[in-house]
Amino acid sequence: MASLFRTRLLAFVKRLPAGKTRAEFLTNFALLIITLMMLLPIATTVLVSFKREEDVTRNPPVLFPCDTPTSSFDLTACRWSLEGYERVFLAKADKTAPLGFILQGRMVNTYLPNTVLYAVSTALIVMTLASLAGYAFSRYQFRGHDALMFAILAITGVPLLTNLLALFQMGISLRHLPIPIYNDRVFIIIVYTGFFLPMSIWIAKGFFDAIPKELEEAALIDGCSPVQGLALIVVPVITPGLTSIFLLVFVGVWNEFLAGYLLITKNDLKPAMFGMYDFLSQNIINAQVVAAACIIIAFPMVLVFLVARQSFFRAMVEGAVKG
Amino acid sequence: MGPNATASLPGSLPQKKAKPHRRFDWLPFLLILPAILVLLAIQVYPIFYTAILSVQTREPAGWKFVGFRNFGILLESSRMGESLGHTVIFLVGYVSLTLILAFIIALLLNQKTSFSGTSITFLFIPWILADIIAGVIFRLLVLPDYGVLSGILQNPALFPPNGLSVLIDNAPKPWFGSFPFPPAPAMIYLILAAAWRALPFITLLLLASLQTVSHEVIESSRIDGATGWQTVRHITIPLILPTLVVALFNLTLGGINGVGMVFSLTNGGPGTSTNVLSYLLFSLGWVDLDFGRAAAFALMLAVVNLALMGGTVLITRVQRSV
Repeated sequence: MASLFRTRLLAFVKRLPAGKTRAEFLTNFALLIITLMMLLPIATTVLVSFKREEDVTRNPPVLFPCDTPTSSFDLTACRWSLEGYERVFLAKADKTAPLGFILQGRMVNTYLPNTVLYAVSTALIVMTLASLAGYAFSRYQFRGHDALMFAILAITGVPLLTNLLALFQMGISLRHLPIPIYNDRVFIIIVYTGFFLPMSIWIAKGFFDAIPKELEEAALIDGCSPVQGLALIVVPVITPGLTSIFLLVFVGVWNEFLAGYLLITKNDLKPAMFGMYDFLSQNIINAQVVAAACIIIAFPMVLVFLVARQSFFRAMVEGAVKG
Repeated sequence: MGPNATASLPGSLPQKKAKPHRRFDWLPFLLILPAILVLLAIQVYPIFYTAILSVQTREPAGWKFVGFRNFGILLESSRMGESLGHTVIFLVGYVSLTLILAFIIALLLNQKTSFSGTSITFLFIPWILADIIAGVIFRLLVLPDYGVLSGILQNPALFPPNGLSVLIDNAPKPWFGSFPFPPAPAMIYLILAAAWRALPFITLLLLASLQTVSHEVIESSRIDGATGWQTVRHITIPLILPTLVVALFNLTLGGINGVGMVFSLTNGGPGTSTNVLSYLLFSLGWVDLDFGRAAAFALMLAVVNLALMGGTVLITRVQRSV
């Protein structure tokens, strides 16, 4: 079958006009194969997440749960199921709840809301601090300007793993101090802010550098106050850049595992990646549950990426060029 | 480079007096201050704290100063030596595989065919996934007996004598003393999984660089009769060499520090066959609870990181000034 496919393909390629069209077809074909190969592991995980336990624990394993005693693949006999998702959500009927049910799974009622809280607050704080600092570094020359910029760059070279030991001890000490409203949530948000700030400051400076200073000066000459100039001229131009930083930090915090796992003691405050790790140690045979949890955590990020990919690429190129 | 540098003229000695006295401008410092405070607390203080921890050891009575003994014990320990071996094998496999594949994909994408835009978008999905999630995805594929790939790998006809069980099979007997070569199936699989996740970003990096190579140069080499491979070998690769080196450093850094995938894919096992340095550091700190030695280890890791980082910055500077 494979060889038949090959001869047909070769015949098809030969029939294409020589030169550009044929080269274009071959390139497209190669890219299609590569893209499909890259997506294959994700696709199988999606498939597993919609299987039933009997189909996940089959030996030898099957890719599609669509076989019947008489045929190896019958589309009408597919046994798709939401069992994995149900076991992550643990929905339970409840008359008093607004939608008529409540979700009891810790992943959806504890870990994911924690992750959303940490990711949104960190991204907002980093975006604010980085744009203030980035603006100052871009528009002012002051004593120690270059040394500070270099120090911030050097900080990005110290790995998270190195700082975790000290941050762990710091967390223990802070927990014992009588600080009002302080808990591990505050600590982890500050820690994440510290992790993502250096890179974000450099990216923000790059974005401000790209806006000509004359734009603000023209506004000042035309009678704007400095604050008006900033609000009416600079902010609209810089918004796409700030969005990029927000998204990059948001995804970074969402996907971070080690700090959330080690620096938070109470399970109620831990993020979704810990929930995933916990699931893995409990449900190792129930692959459909683990796969469903994977999809539930990863799907929002894939969606965000597909909607805002230009923003990601902008920040990535800006960040990568600077190191 | 202060503001004076732009105003100074050669030969004008009394610079400072000649300048009109201006009020010290606090605004930039106020703007930077919040960021600096956070960085001091979360990034700078921990480095000093780690340095202090690294020369101490915990005894029942409290912390005790031991000088550089932690470093000595670490450097001599066979556990560290073995882990270094695993890391070297991982890095060589991961970096070379990712670079080669990313270069090929970037060359294809650079043809700017009708499908390349869509292709970039979908190729990037592995990048957006967390390392923990990517590890779980690859773990599910090779779950003993039940994973989709296990059906092929555990077939004794394809992999004699007993088939291959990635998460269970131990490393073969090492060929060169204690250096863990040939690697365990789990290590090869870890390399593949890590390369899968790193591929999109490196591809983008190389693609951005390829797009700066002028079309005329490629075209003229074609006219001079160079084959496709000759053009790539003698024109394209030399022109984007700085970016290739940046990508190499970037991958090495990520490979040394990345621990999430080891966590969710192999947990350092089977046995110790995927116990890379970053995972060993975690075990030293949070399994053995030996913070002194872990701190010494963490410092050494930071030095390696800073060196690689410095290299990257140097190359980027040189590249931009050319």
